[in-house]
Amino acid sequence: MIAGLLEPDGGEVHVDGTRITTRTTAGKGNIGLVPQELAIYPDLTATENLRFFGKLYGEGGSELEKRVDEVLGVIGLTDRRDDLVKEYSGGMKRRLNIGIGLLHRPRLLILDEPTVGVDPQSRNAILESVESLSAEGMAVLYTTHYMEEAERLCDRVAIIDEGTIKAEGTRRELVSMVGEKDRVCVTAGGDLAAATEAASFMEGVAEAFHTDGRIDVLTEDASAILPELLARLGSAGAAIQGVEMVEPNLEAVFLHLTGKALRD
Amino acid sequence: MGAATRIATKDLKLRIRDRSAIIIGIIAPLTLAFIFDLVFGGAFTQQLDLEFGLVDLDGTEISQGLGDVLEEVEAEGVLVLETFDTAELAEEAVEEGVIDASILLGEGFGQSVMTNSDAGIAVIGSVDAPTSTQIAASIAQQYATGIEAAQLAVATAAAASNSQVTPEFFASLTTDPSTAAFSYTITDITTATRQLDATTYFSAGMAVFFLFFTVQFGVLGLLEEEREGTLARLQAAPISRASIVLGKALLAFLLGIISMGVLVVATQLLIGATWGAPLGVALLVVAGVLSAVGIMGLVAAVAKSPEGAGNLGAIIAVILGMLGGVFFQLGSGDDFLSRLTFITPHAWFMEGLANLADGAPWTAALPAVGAIMIFAVVTGAISWVLLRRRFIR
Repeated sequence: MIAGLLEPDGGEVHVDGTRITTRTTAGKGNIGLVPQELAIYPDLTATENLRFFGKLYGEGGSELEKRVDEVLGVIGLTDRRDDLVKEYSGGMKRRLNIGIGLLHRPRLLILDEPTVGVDPQSRNAILESVESLSAEGMAVLYTTHYMEEAERLCDRVAIIDEGTIKAEGTRRELVSMVGEKDRVCVTAGGDLAAATEAASFMEGVAEAFHTDGRIDVLTEDASAILPELLARLGSAGAAIQGVEMVEPNLEAVFLHLTGKALRD
Repeated sequence: MGAATRIATKDLKLRIRDRSAIIIGIIAPLTLAFIFDLVFGGAFTQQLDLEFGLVDLDGTEISQGLGDVLEEVEAEGVLVLETFDTAELAEEAVEEGVIDASILLGEGFGQSVMTNSDAGIAVIGSVDAPTSTQIAASIAQQYATGIEAAQLAVATAAAASNSQVTPEFFASLTTDPSTAAFSYTITDITTATRQLDATTYFSAGMAVFFLFFTVQFGVLGLLEEEREGTLARLQAAPISRASIVLGKALLAFLLGIISMGVLVVATQLLIGATWGAPLGVALLVVAGVLSAVGIMGLVAAVAKSPEGAGNLGAIIAVILGMLGGVFFQLGSGDDFLSRLTFITPHAWFMEGLANLADGAPWTAALPAVGAIMIFAVVTGAISWVLLRRRFIR
């Protein structure tokens, strides 16, 4: 809908002040679309693919050639620019798929699960490219099923389930919205029951419990209580072997909001 | 139009690169035209030599009427006539292949006619000359029909004058009906209906047959873009959605024109086809390509996948080609099959070329061009409505 592929059931989409519909062409030049499925021509070279889509967006002449060179550099395909795309690896095709969306310098770049099915190197390259584009001032709308990608890349996150936005905000806002807490996991020997009881009476600790060789403490701010917590656990008889602090992640938020595992 | 041109140019590059359009659009029709011309070309120019025998055991004036007519036809050079004294000699000549068939008028034939009773005519034919035998049988049948008409006329005259049909009554008539029983006309049909020579026939037939497959590469590209996901990217670009459909139609038209143009020139230079007045041929080609684009546009609009569209398009192309007489003409003269064939643009295309044969001016092709354009406009309009509903919402 944002890219003008579908008509919305209700409401309007405006990008940079221009209303976007399926019938209008105005404003679409401000949007770069990177579909989830590869939307490239395998029997053209990378240069020919970029040139073709560049012309559709009104680019041309030496300016287009210069921009094609730049984008090929960004997506790391300069050396293979004149090879047919069907000879590329999956990761290279993914990068070209993104490059086409970038070519016309859009104000808004829509990336629909760009890292699905790519190797770790290509995935990292794609994420670095997105971070770089965002740093340059391009608005990026990034759709993903991988919560760690959303945490790494996004200033604001909207969680959608069954076509409905369940929550929207910064990562910290989402976490606080659903009441998820930091977790301090202490690996220890000794009298774990006494140590757990001592921890549970500390100010700022919401809950403490222990299992075999490990004490878990839930708190609003793990960093703030950590020194005193370790001191109390030691004095209560725990022989501390290791400490890990876990902040609540978006997957936990999602599960909290939907009560279900991630789905398509 | 700029976006449509860019899309068509991109697709043309893809089609040239994968060579499929070149094979289907040029190499296959050119090869088949050459092979068909080589194998079947002789049948078009083969002369049918008719050699008939006549056995007149009756020897009356009535039976001689048939012999007189056949001798006149022989004098025209249409057949060779040989007379035999007995049926056995005629049968022997047929068996030995000296003649193709013989007509036998038995003893008492004239008397039977004059007494208004049954009169028999027999035909002896060779199994090796079925066409000639059929022609001999047709001549005998025609003569018998004439005799029956004469008998009816005489019987009517006798009834009107309260007389019996006897040889004497026959003699009393001022005009002998038996002499008017059989008449013939020799017509040169080539002056009434122009015909293509074998080389041009097969060249044009294969060209227009494969045209429908070639054009498919263009219009079905829409479905391929949809399947490959590139259609979404095109629709997200700042171009009108109509220009995407127009781009495919433009490619289909370009492929069709290139294919037909190359085939017209190549068949002229390589196998000696004579297509006729260039302007007339050009108009026929343009109209033919437009009708192919319209029909294959319909296929693209209703098919669910490129594979389904390819299969449906192939079926339609083969049916229209067969019905349109690109391999062989269906029916003859004014029969049902001959009329049915003109529900296809192929038949009109071949008709238009036939009308351009023997140095006819380009205007001779205009009726066929008009008919083909009706196909193009009707199918093109329906295709546009359906494609618009599917791709330009």
